[in-house]
Amino acid sequence: MSDTEPQGRRSGAGRAAKRAARMAPAVSTVPFITRQIPVYEVLSEEGLALIEHNADTVLEEVGIDFKGDDEALAMWRDAGADVQGERVHFPRGLCRSLVQASAPREYTQHARNPARSVIIGGKHTVFAPAYGPPFVHDLDRGRRYGTIEDFRNFVKLAYQTPYLHHSGGTVCEPVDLPVNKRHFDMVYAHMRYSDKPFMGSVTAPERAADTVAMAKILFADDLTDAATGRPKTVVTSLINANSPLTWDSTMLGAAKEYARANQACLMTPFILAGAMSPVTVAGAATVTLAEALAGIAFVQLVNPGAPVILGSFASSMSMKSGAPTFGTPEPALVLYIMAALARRLGVPFRSGGGLCASKLPDAQAAYESAGTMLPACLAGTNFVLHTAGWLEGGLAMGYEKFMMDVDQAGMFQTMLAGVDMSESGQAMDAIREVGPGKHFLGCAHTQANFETAFFPSALADNNSFEQWDAEGRQDMATRANALWKKRLHEYEAPPIDPGVDEALLDYVGRRKASFADSNV
Amino acid sequence: MSDELDLNTLSDEELVGQMHDDLYDGLKDEITQSVHILLARGWTPYDILTQALVEGMRIVGIDFRDGILFVPEVLLSANAMKGGMFILRPLLAETGAPKVGKMIIGTVKGDIHDIGKNLVCMMMEGAGFEVIDLGINNGVEKYLAAIEEHQPDILGMSALLTTTMPYMKVVIDTLKEKGIRNDYIVLVGGAPLNEAFANSIGADAYCRDAAVAVETAKTFMARRQGSVQARG
Repeated sequence: MSDTEPQGRRSGAGRAAKRAARMAPAVSTVPFITRQIPVYEVLSEEGLALIEHNADTVLEEVGIDFKGDDEALAMWRDAGADVQGERVHFPRGLCRSLVQASAPREYTQHARNPARSVIIGGKHTVFAPAYGPPFVHDLDRGRRYGTIEDFRNFVKLAYQTPYLHHSGGTVCEPVDLPVNKRHFDMVYAHMRYSDKPFMGSVTAPERAADTVAMAKILFADDLTDAATGRPKTVVTSLINANSPLTWDSTMLGAAKEYARANQACLMTPFILAGAMSPVTVAGAATVTLAEALAGIAFVQLVNPGAPVILGSFASSMSMKSGAPTFGTPEPALVLYIMAALARRLGVPFRSGGGLCASKLPDAQAAYESAGTMLPACLAGTNFVLHTAGWLEGGLAMGYEKFMMDVDQAGMFQTMLAGVDMSESGQAMDAIREVGPGKHFLGCAHTQANFETAFFPSALADNNSFEQWDAEGRQDMATRANALWKKRLHEYEAPPIDPGVDEALLDYVGRRKASFADSNV
Repeated sequence: MSDELDLNTLSDEELVGQMHDDLYDGLKDEITQSVHILLARGWTPYDILTQALVEGMRIVGIDFRDGILFVPEVLLSANAMKGGMFILRPLLAETGAPKVGKMIIGTVKGDIHDIGKNLVCMMMEGAGFEVIDLGINNGVEKYLAAIEEHQPDILGMSALLTTTMPYMKVVIDTLKEKGIRNDYIVLVGGAPLNEAFANSIGADAYCRDAAVAVETAKTFMARRQGSVQARG
């Protein structure tokens, strides 16, 4: 509501005006979260220092493999590491000093709509959708391979919600497109159907180069940061370690491509504890830190000052079947520890998400997802990948699960905003006005604040049993099914300069025509 | 207050439409003014009540049910309605117009929780009912005395606890003993109740929320108007 609205007689107000206003979601939109509550930690200073010491021991004594990348090995040799074959042994403290010499504590990832640019690091948190699922799931059609249409749908759904600040990357794998060309349509979808920041292709160095080339078209003359003279960071891309203790040529190739263009690399050890690390919390954290330090330091060798994020993906495992398990307490403890270690190192931290093993948007999905999202938020995670949509250990992107996760993300955003301690927040005028034995619903303070006082869930049913019964006894997944369809129906693409759009399509068309389709 | 719109310049039809909007927006002063204008133009109090006020609050009720309006807004609308009713009520009595209805309501003995009951009062008044609020912790004798004094159409009882809700049956059984149970519509409500409970204690209906209480009261009043007129 505007403050300039005339008092008293308000001709033209009434039902029509109110309905119009209320149909548009009344949510405050911020481009990213700035946390106003403290971080939660689970280890003492001694404990964190011991894990850092052990990680240095791993780096020095055990070493990390840099596979299939002679350039990387040469760079490490020049930097003073002991390179034996493809295994790199790092003098104690080398990686940390490389990182701390040049890696930024936080960075801005620019969006094509400047109002949606995000700061990653420090007190800030960014929520992004799930990444990588080959399958999609919805209540109507069940589980099936993802298509480019599904991909576009999830880009649109992420664009529409104020609680995802980032468009993500591989929101699902468009399996209907040839492997060597699908990145064109994926990157274009993020650029065209959203104006939020996005992630680039990492499946081959030339696909990373295509992403950077398309970003240059999208941002046109606006790609150079006037202050630093360096390219603006407009892509953050996911570089996974081939854990344990290995970085491979595909990921290193993409990382080099992005780092040289001053684009951000999210260096993430991928730990299913028991398989890629010891089974213990401290052991998993040690392997994660060693891998991440080597990866992040490598990016700083490629281009000192290039933005990096320390990532941690940790899950537990069913020792009866070998299946990864999610939302369990042990990975939550790893998450808290890694967030603290990233803060000590001085780089942004990525972890978390609505992780679960459930096949359906059911109680297992909800509990497990909350079991990771809450620690991610309390730990002070800066980039929360997989915030929405994740099912089945990341194998499926769920439409209903996406909407349910987004609803939760809004609640976490509200919690992280902390407590309003202003005069209005203290609400002493309301307490004085009402006094004992009456209610606060009519007092001036409530009248002024009720609309935004509580997070309004779009999916929770709070009605009486009788009303819920009369409306068909719907569970949350059924309500979420109706909501994603409504959102897609309402979707309007953000405006784009027709010349830029034409240039992007021209680039994609020329590149696609320049080599044959391939699925290898 | 800068008046952008002079209510006096509106035609009857426009003014009634404006009153619907003003009730929707909870503008008590404007409703009061409009009621006076319509009276001055020779409208009967009953027509003002039904066509302007009750119809306006019916729209408010729909949008409250549909989640468009919030509780504090409906509170303002009901308050604006009360402003209009304050003027009309004595005039309605003088002209012998049909009454929307009169209700006594209270929380039963042992129960001191009254926020829900207060919301019902607010919504009932908003719909044009005359509401006598007995407050909390009412024994059967208090209900009986109030019935004697006010001669209501409706007796409303509320309870929040499973330990206090059986007392509703005590009140209804007492009415039966005195042979006056069927003279009143008995509506019950509160979080731990359901329809089966209401039936089992001999109430006329269970009202799950304030909006349903209004609808239920209107339905029973419509039936009762017929029978009252039949009785002469």
